[in-house]
Amino acid sequence: MLYLQVILNGLVLGGIYACIAVGFSLVWGVLNVINIMHGSLIVLGSYVAYMAHAAFGISPFVSILFIAPAFFLLGYVIELVLINRIVTAPVLLTLTLTFGLDLILINGMLVGFSADFKRLTLDPPLGTLSFGGLALPVDRVVAMGLAILLTGLLYLILSRSRIGRAISAVRMDREAAMLMGVNVNHVNSVTFGLGTMMAGVAGALLAMIFPIYPLLGYTYLGKAFVICVLGGLGSIPGALLGGIVLGEVESFGAIWFGPEHAVTLSFALLILVLLFRPEGLLGRKGFA
Amino acid sequence: MTKLNLRVRARGISCAAATLLALGTLLSGPAAAADDVIRFGSPLPITGPLAPEAQKQQRGYNLWAETVNKAGGIKVGDKRYKVEIVYVDYQSNTPRAVQAAERLITQDKVNFLFAPFGSGATKAASSVSERYKIPMIAATASSSQVYDQGYKFLFGIFTPNETLTEPIADIVRAKLPDVKTVAILARNDLFPLAIGQEMEKSAKKRQLDVVFFQKYDIGTLDFASPLTEIKSKAPQWIFATGYTNDLVLMRKQMADLQIKAPVVTMIAAPAYQEFIDATGKLSENVTSASWWHPAVRYKGTDVFGSTENFVKAFQAKYNATPDYGEGSAAASGAIIQLAIEHAGSLDPVKVRDALASMDVVTFWGPIRFGQDGQINSLEPPVFQIQNAKPVVIFPDVIKQGELKRME
Repeated sequence: MLYLQVILNGLVLGGIYACIAVGFSLVWGVLNVINIMHGSLIVLGSYVAYMAHAAFGISPFVSILFIAPAFFLLGYVIELVLINRIVTAPVLLTLTLTFGLDLILINGMLVGFSADFKRLTLDPPLGTLSFGGLALPVDRVVAMGLAILLTGLLYLILSRSRIGRAISAVRMDREAAMLMGVNVNHVNSVTFGLGTMMAGVAGALLAMIFPIYPLLGYTYLGKAFVICVLGGLGSIPGALLGGIVLGEVESFGAIWFGPEHAVTLSFALLILVLLFRPEGLLGRKGFA
Repeated sequence: MTKLNLRVRARGISCAAATLLALGTLLSGPAAAADDVIRFGSPLPITGPLAPEAQKQQRGYNLWAETVNKAGGIKVGDKRYKVEIVYVDYQSNTPRAVQAAERLITQDKVNFLFAPFGSGATKAASSVSERYKIPMIAATASSSQVYDQGYKFLFGIFTPNETLTEPIADIVRAKLPDVKTVAILARNDLFPLAIGQEMEKSAKKRQLDVVFFQKYDIGTLDFASPLTEIKSKAPQWIFATGYTNDLVLMRKQMADLQIKAPVVTMIAAPAYQEFIDATGKLSENVTSASWWHPAVRYKGTDVFGSTENFVKAFQAKYNATPDYGEGSAAASGAIIQLAIEHAGSLDPVKVRDALASMDVVTFWGPIRFGQDGQINSLEPPVFQIQNAKPVVIFPDVIKQGELKRME
């Protein structure tokens, strides 16, 4: 019974982790840009959802409807104005730029929202599903469900739509795509916009689960890194699988070795994957 | 070129001198009074990872200095002295805290010192204050290892860590005799882990069975696994330590996993209003303890007069409720002020003797120091969140309510 509950815990945690990593993985895979800002964009999404709830009583399930387009636009503009200038530059430059943007964003949030801890508390709370002594918190299950849904949608867009195929093409071979008439700059901006949109939506969902504070982004970023490498860069199903693997490893690690070793264990796993399957669990070049 | 530069600079100096002279004549009154200042040195981690703590300390010291100066200053014999605090940033780096303390004494010529933040840095800097025989008040050092060095010039206003766990263990034992098992989940970090270990001792001393004791990592995003294990052991008392973000999340996940216990104690998050705001109804009946809480009610002879007055003054200046970090800094100032006034002198040795023999009540609580310089008169309050408000349940002198069963 204990293990069944631990498996469930790991599964919902994994769904949440997938939510954190999908956008990050997409941007890294297509643009080859490691977006240090990703964690803080999630936190920004949380703050927007929190404000919408605190000021107007809008549930985060509703606010994602306007957070998604707003964050897409934000990402599109950031890419168009700033990141596009250095997208082909060595990776150190893109790291530096997004790191700088991240500092601006974090300090902006510190000034705007203060360093206090906030949490979005639904009233009445969503509660817990329980059956046969097992407990499943509804907010986590819903967040996980929505994350899977959005990830599936993103996967469909990438594999079926014209712009999606263009994104995949750019990911496979930038020059060849350009020669085939793909507007690479536009594709880059759309991809970054999609990544930012996923961050904003993830943030809105996570606002119901984690306490919000401006420096939380680094913790999310750390998880996103591990998940992307586990699952395979740029692979959408990979992010989902990587998230669930990480969730389960942390859950069982905490039971078997004590909670203080859960994080150590996940990084040990990361090293093993890098050694024996460097392309990640589902990583294959050229597929979304 | 050099010559020209020299001339320009010389003229600059003479200009500045003339201005100073003119100012001096104009302001001869205040200029003479400027000598009547007592300087307090405060090495603080103003930058680096401990910066938020330094900000709290600074807010406390500044409020005290402002309050004293508004009231006319510190009375020494027939004279009144204004307070001036000299801050030096030691960048959250302990060796630099020692240098900063030395610099404050030798270069800035401060009369008295406030210790750097926390037990480690305080212990390191205390060798300097001892060598120069300058009394130093430690606002935030609780470990007994800071005070067992036989030093004469160090005085601390935090009681040892076990004073946070002993009273609550007594209360639970007395009020809820059916509570027999305890689970402890502690953040793997200096202070939270020390408190967890003290709780283990306090529990064993009272024949309570510690059925679970685990540490969790800094930056943990999920407590489901350890909580699931706790649930399977069904302890009657859950004792968790950590910072606000940890304990907000943990409390939420306890509710998610439908974990209930007659007593849930969390240290130190419930001492902050943020915890109550962020957990809402889930904060109800959570117990906690800290060295001081704005809900305590002491009438004192210090510059603030009472806890209520201190809290009011703090709210007026910062538009926020003080916590024990801010309170401890203001209390350090208020206590050394009482010692100086009592000694009637700025002589460091006389002030040191006044501190050693001090027996007063302040807004912080009753103040008496043991032979080792650590306060032994203070009973850190135990409190419980009842109807979204912290209610003091210990010590009896300031008690506002009784321990309630959780559920």
